[in-house]
Amino acid sequence: MASTFNGLEVAKRALHTQQSALYTTGHNISNANTEGYTRQRVNMTQTGPYPPASRNRPEIPGQVGSGVEAGSIQRVRDSFIDKQYREENTKVGYYETKADMMTKLEAILNEPTEEGLSQSFDLFWQSLHDLSTNPEDSGARAVVKERANAVVDSLQYVHSSLEKVRANQKDEIGVNNSKINSLIDQINQVNEQISKIEPHGYVPNDLYDERDRLIDQLSTYADIKVDYRASSGQPSAIAQGIATITLAVDNSDVEQEGNDPVVLVDGGADVELGSSDAVNHLFTDFDNDNNLKAIFFANPTEGTTAESLADDYENQQFIYSDNFNVQGKLQALIDGAGYLTDFQYGGADDADYTSAGEINKIVTNIDTMVSQFITEFNAVHQDGYALKTDENGNPLQGEAFFTGTTADTIAVSDAILNDVDLIAASTTGATGDGENAIELANVYTKRVEEYLSYEEGDPAQLDDKATIKSYFESIIGEMGVVAEEANTMLNNSQILRQQVSESKQAISSVSLDEEMTNLIQFQHAYNAAARSMTVVDEMLDRIINSMGLVGR
Amino acid sequence: MRVTQSMLTNNMLRNISSSYQSLGKYMDQLSTGKKINRPSDDPVIAMKGMDYRTQVNQIEQFERNIGEVHNWMDNSDSALDKVQKGLERLRELAVQAANGTYEEGQRGNIASEVDQIKEHLLDLANTKVNNRFIFSGTATTGNAGEKPYELNDDGTFANPINTDNVNIEVSNGTKIRVNVQPDSIFTEELFTDLTEFSEALKDGTDDEAIGEFIGKLDTHIDNNVNARADLGARQNRIDLIENRVKEQLVTAKDMMSKNEDADLEEVIMNLTSQEAVHRAALSGGARIIQPTLLDFLR
Repeated sequence: MASTFNGLEVAKRALHTQQSALYTTGHNISNANTEGYTRQRVNMTQTGPYPPASRNRPEIPGQVGSGVEAGSIQRVRDSFIDKQYREENTKVGYYETKADMMTKLEAILNEPTEEGLSQSFDLFWQSLHDLSTNPEDSGARAVVKERANAVVDSLQYVHSSLEKVRANQKDEIGVNNSKINSLIDQINQVNEQISKIEPHGYVPNDLYDERDRLIDQLSTYADIKVDYRASSGQPSAIAQGIATITLAVDNSDVEQEGNDPVVLVDGGADVELGSSDAVNHLFTDFDNDNNLKAIFFANPTEGTTAESLADDYENQQFIYSDNFNVQGKLQALIDGAGYLTDFQYGGADDADYTSAGEINKIVTNIDTMVSQFITEFNAVHQDGYALKTDENGNPLQGEAFFTGTTADTIAVSDAILNDVDLIAASTTGATGDGENAIELANVYTKRVEEYLSYEEGDPAQLDDKATIKSYFESIIGEMGVVAEEANTMLNNSQILRQQVSESKQAISSVSLDEEMTNLIQFQHAYNAAARSMTVVDEMLDRIINSMGLVGR
Repeated sequence: MRVTQSMLTNNMLRNISSSYQSLGKYMDQLSTGKKINRPSDDPVIAMKGMDYRTQVNQIEQFERNIGEVHNWMDNSDSALDKVQKGLERLRELAVQAANGTYEEGQRGNIASEVDQIKEHLLDLANTKVNNRFIFSGTATTGNAGEKPYELNDDGTFANPINTDNVNIEVSNGTKIRVNVQPDSIFTEELFTDLTEFSEALKDGTDDEAIGEFIGKLDTHIDNNVNARADLGARQNRIDLIENRVKEQLVTAKDMMSKNEDADLEEVIMNLTSQEAVHRAALSGGARIIQPTLLDFLR
């Protein structure tokens, strides 16, 4: 026979459960605009029926239900979509940074315009032609000198601006490095908190949200892999567990014995969660020219720096910069700042490796072009005769017009700066002969194989069929293609991320309409449960106060 | 699919911002008049644009060079015209002096006129335009700044004369000679003949001997006419080249414009339709945010 007060108990359980559902709905509504919040729902389960199957069960027909309870409160989330989202997020991080950098490069090189480097070359070319028609005129000579200075200034400006961008990228790596390390630490902290709650059977939904939010942020910087391990003790079946975060690199690229994977946050059973032992921070080791040598992964203990790790590289886990193929913001920045290829700690000497990276490449290409230009221009200039004469009245042979070998060292020679009559416009030495000036102008537009300084098969030279002009155009074209690709890929990855994010929101985000509906639903259930309690109350009132009065 | 308020608002914001981006792009095209503003907009157009710019700059320079050529030729021609007049006067004088009716004093007067005309021709040979001697080959500054033509008493040149060509490039790879070769007209022979002519007039009475100078002067007049004909032919050629270069400039500018200039009608159309889309997006956005179930519950 069921208890007299069974009805009260059932109604009370219903009241409690509906109440907790109402509160959870309230929690959802409150967090409708919270970044990274996942809507929660109360999993209502029936409580065990009466009588339970047992030896001394009362002999009543059938089992009577005993009501409802809040079995658990669960996040509505699909972890598979999380994975997709992070993959796309990594790509967006990479292309966003790259597109941003390429935009800066385009602004620096400023082509095609009436102000760019090629315009200053064009003006120099024109001034040489003016000189060829007026070789005896010191005005035309002064213009050549000034236009040459303008070319030098443009080249130096381009060079220093590019180097400045590289230095900025390096600084940005530093800032992002600390952000990454801070995210790693925070995830570690959350892991620790979760590990203290889960063994008791609780499901810490809000901590999960917090951790997912942090991991999402971390995925902007580098491609990562997340694995979960169940907590010790008595974790709930729907508990997520402790996260272990590894860098998604090819393990053979990791320089350390055993090629162990790079673990950023260790959620293993044998480490003390929340301590510095459970994390590996990133340390970036640069050379003096802002090129990245390698990235080290080490416990953040007092006094650990990239230098101290590099000194002890044999015992450290690290990845050489040219092997660091992890998409994400970090790689784009490394590509911008520059890195060393074929570099090895303890390797022979500097000659073994070269610097690479998008900006380095442009700097090197411009330097190659400038060096070729200086060599040939000087060769042609030395082939001609100046207006100035020696003590016997014979015209002087031309000397080097430009000094230096690269875009940052190029300069008009002091002799020319002091005396424009030393510009060798003449092929014969006659004052009215301006044909060498035309030859000088042609240096910009003639093919390498026609150079005076041409040497067949010299690898330092440009291609035989190339001209200085076409080479510079190809530098701009190449940069344009890279920038175009970065922009397109940014757009594509943003669209993909948007789609994934949409499916993620379709599952996890709070719909106010839905919550209002639930609110009413649960309110009605609550009210009905209260009514059922009133009915039981009236029943009891009948039994206690109004029964046994028969015949009175 | 489950759609929530935050999805709608996020989408709306994203769409409005991409709509702004398109508006910005069209505004850029409209205000700069260019299809592309950076190489990544279209690398091929950017590379071609650089090439066309250089081409236009070079052709403009060739036009300037041609101006310089005209300068040389026109000045040479006007000098030669004066030489012609001088030589014709000399021939008249020679014919007069040779007919035997003049007495010694009159021949002396003719001799002094011949001397003056010789000086005049010498001045013409030393013609200086824009601070350079134009009948001195490539030695345009003369003899270390001194006049290139200086005569000894017998009419021979005190210094050798530079006879090299002065060439100016007038279009890619085409150089044209702009000076009159000095040895075609201002020859040493001219000046020695004139000196001898004047000597013969001063002390000789030999009509025969004076008569010979008529033939010599005819040769010099011929030389001058030939030099002018040659100059005229080159002037014709440079006119042809100038026309071609001018056409090239128009073509190059046209190509440059076709390559990178925005089609304004198209841009304005695009801008207008984008504006309409933008307005629609904004008004749609205003509606999306408003109502929830809450507004209808009581």
